[in-house]
Amino acid sequence: MLPPSPLRQLAPTIARRVRNPRTIARLASTPQCFAPVTESPSVRTQRWHSNHNDSRPPSSSSVNPDEISHFNALAATWWDPHGSSRALHLMNPLRHDFIQTCRSSSPTSSFTVLTEDSGDELPSSSPDAPTYSTTANVQKLRYLDIGCGGGIFAESAARLPTTESVLAIDPSPGVLAIARSHAKKDPSLSPKLTYLSSTIESLPTLKPEAVEKKFDVVSCFEVIEHVDHPALFLDHVAKFVKPGGWLVMSTIARTWTSWFTTNFMAEDVLGIVPKGTHDWNKYINEYELRGYFEETEEKRRFWGQPRAMGVVYVPGLGWKEVPGSEKVGNYFLGVQRLASEDA
Amino acid sequence: MEAVARRKAAAYVCLSCTRQFQRHIRRQYHNAAPRPDIYDVVCVGGGPAGLSLLTALRANPVTSHLRVALVEAQDLSKVKSWKLPPSKYSNRCSSLTPTSAFYLDQIGAWEHLDQTRVQPYHEMQVWDGVTDARIEFDWAPGSALVEGTTIAYMNENLNLTSGLLKRLEQLGGVSVFEGAKVENITFGEETEDLDLRQWPVVHISGGKQLTARLLVGADGANSPVRAFAGIDAKGWDYNRHGVVATLEMEGEGWGGEHTKIAYQRFLPTGPVAMLPMPGKYSTLVWSTTPENASILKSLSPKDFVAMVNAAFRLSPVDLAFMHTQGANQDYEYSWRLQHTSFNPRAIPQTVVGVQEGTIASFPLKMRHADTYIGERVALVGDAAHTIHPLAGQGLNQGQGDVQSLAKTIEHAVTHGQDIGSIMSLESYVSERYTANHVLLGVVDKLHKLYSAESGPLVPLRSLGLNAVNALGPLKSFFMKQAAGSGTKLF
Ligand SMILES: Cc1cc2nc3c(=O)[nH]c(=O)nc-3n(C[C@H](O)[C@H](O)[C@H](O)COP(=O)(O)OP(=O)(O)OC[C@H]3O[C@@H](n4cnc5c(N)ncnc54)[C@H](O)[C@@H]3O)c2cc1C
Repeated sequence: MLPPSPLRQLAPTIARRVRNPRTIARLASTPQCFAPVTESPSVRTQRWHSNHNDSRPPSSSSVNPDEISHFNALAATWWDPHGSSRALHLMNPLRHDFIQTCRSSSPTSSFTVLTEDSGDELPSSSPDAPTYSTTANVQKLRYLDIGCGGGIFAESAARLPTTESVLAIDPSPGVLAIARSHAKKDPSLSPKLTYLSSTIESLPTLKPEAVEKKFDVVSCFEVIEHVDHPALFLDHVAKFVKPGGWLVMSTIARTWTSWFTTNFMAEDVLGIVPKGTHDWNKYINEYELRGYFEETEEKRRFWGQPRAMGVVYVPGLGWKEVPGSEKVGNYFLGVQRLASEDA
Repeated sequence: MEAVARRKAAAYVCLSCTRQFQRHIRRQYHNAAPRPDIYDVVCVGGGPAGLSLLTALRANPVTSHLRVALVEAQDLSKVKSWKLPPSKYSNRCSSLTPTSAFYLDQIGAWEHLDQTRVQPYHEMQVWDGVTDARIEFDWAPGSALVEGTTIAYMNENLNLTSGLLKRLEQLGGVSVFEGAKVENITFGEETEDLDLRQWPVVHISGGKQLTARLLVGADGANSPVRAFAGIDAKGWDYNRHGVVATLEMEGEGWGGEHTKIAYQRFLPTGPVAMLPMPGKYSTLVWSTTPENASILKSLSPKDFVAMVNAAFRLSPVDLAFMHTQGANQDYEYSWRLQHTSFNPRAIPQTVVGVQEGTIASFPLKMRHADTYIGERVALVGDAAHTIHPLAGQGLNQGQGDVQSLAKTIEHAVTHGQDIGSIMSLESYVSERYTANHVLLGVVDKLHKLYSAESGPLVPLRSLGLNAVNALGPLKSFFMKQAAGSGTKLF
């Protein structure tokens, strides 16, 4: 077994990325694709990816078939605690912490958690635990998990006592088969968790008036870097967020550090990941992603201030929040939908 | 029909319907084939470790919605109603560190112990029977902790388990299967919409079957849960027995009722310890060879008392001789005592009697499970580790395990993890394993170091004890470890 190392831990994240032959070719021939990270804000919205001038028109789906087959191949080890998805498993609790932080930052989140009202069950000398309501009188949350993969986040969200339902979608049938068969192993999941083989684009759009059918939390974890046209993708996603609800994302910044660890070391030097597995050019910097939500007056009326949290893998300790690290590596970004008119 | 089955199967259920502390085995069978009766936690073993864990889970609002069951072979109603007059003490006592006591207080159990039967002690006298080198474990002036600070609390195990059961009854919500032995543990089955092939199913006497999201083995040193999980426990037998008894002393101790002292003398056959109980009572733990143990158990009360007094006063040679006598140790002791010089204030007061029926012995061993977790399995307390009693840490290690496992489960619940998955349980092992291993190792080495009568180690250890005594800060470090208040090394 390999000793724990940041590189090994990064491998699963890397391995999820798309094999895109065109990108490999470009990577080899155009050194300027390792663009400096200090590009001017004025160009950021067009230059999310070095392939922004790709001649391909925006497709109806955010994901391409190469990606789907790649994820199918990974399916078997998804739930092995010591397998290639270990880093994702380790990161999962932080996703909940981040959502919790986002939601408790705003009094207008669709409901406020954390009230304890079952007086008779609360012992006078109870441990100093965070209060955590499981009672029915608080409104429970509806989750939409986009690109759910084997269901690591979707299952955990469904298990929370504060969750009403989780709709988890992914276009890779092999991965969804794994997700479904794993969910069968926990009887508490079936009443709350639904898997659907779908992209966000093919999910029926909800009418503006069907607010209660929208979602309190829409998540896309390690997804946006697989997407060819992130702005169009986010425009779609926005339609599913309930007013007062949150869109939460996680991805990796496109920096020298991430290029060095994920492209050069993992692929070229260590060979942990098949060469060309991932497309560093698709990585999105925190300011670029943030920029999408702030770029126009209309967007600023629709979305609240984005919140970011940078996380770093510390060998032996797992993932830790490190303020400022969102600029260089893995980070979360959360943004609340404010307005009630549709996107 | 399917909806009903699903609801039944959903394991995270509100407990309002099962809030009552259930004494009777519930009949859940219907005419049709039995559906799996699923619990979030099935705890096998209602000793100090198992009862503390269930209390911790029930007392915490984050985990109180979990559906939990206890399986215990003994009749717990007897434990709960346990009562002895103030002149009688059970022979199974343990010292509880302030850390353990604090935790028991946090989970609301401490106040349910009969406080008149709990004895704090403030000093420890430890010396080497061969060289007479000594460490006095009282709190030195100027040390971080003031004089009179409690090193630990002596308490009968039954006072603890009885108190925990009262607290659990107050909290409610535990399905209790008592007088129910675990007969077998198997795995669940796969049906069309459920796959329970990795879920342990506990079969208990009477035919009931409990399916567990997390099966906790708090079932003692011969843990059936550990055997089910295929976890090996390594270690060795010391070829020693622990002889226990409740003793009556000539007085309340040299320090009176407010400064109680624990004594331990290292003899070549093993350590002999006398620990204060309330009033004029003390409890004895004498580790010795199995042969000596059976001799001691066969003696008349008068001769047994003489042997205990001799064990703290006479030379190892005299003591060894007295074990060879069939009877009349009482006479032999008085005679030999006249020819032995010692400082009476540095040893326990004279024992004047032994409570009837309290002399017992048990084999001593050291065992450490290879791991504490498996898929949907966790071990706590003696099921995970058995330690030599010389440091009085057995029960406290179990409390440390419980605190850590309860915290691990809480974290899993708040983060939507499956509390039975390896991924959720990993932090419990990483937090406890090394800590327990260091303590097991230190205590094991101490036993071996002090079990030699002559040879190169003997002068070394006298140097060791004297040096420790001279070095104030080092001593205070050791004491804080004993009291569980030091840096979390052990
Ligand atoms: C005789 C004896 C004397 C001791 N004296 C001292 C002492 O003086 N000081 C000290 O610090 N430590 C002492 N110890 C150690 C101390 O008692 C243990 O460390 C402590 O009791 C461990 O608690 P536990 O809950 O882990 O296990 P236990 O107390 O062993 O509890 C295990 C429980 O599981 C139940 N069980 C086991 N198998 C099954 C089954 N198949 N089905 C249902 N139930 C089952 C048992 O009935 C028991 O109630 C002594 C141990 C023994 C055996």
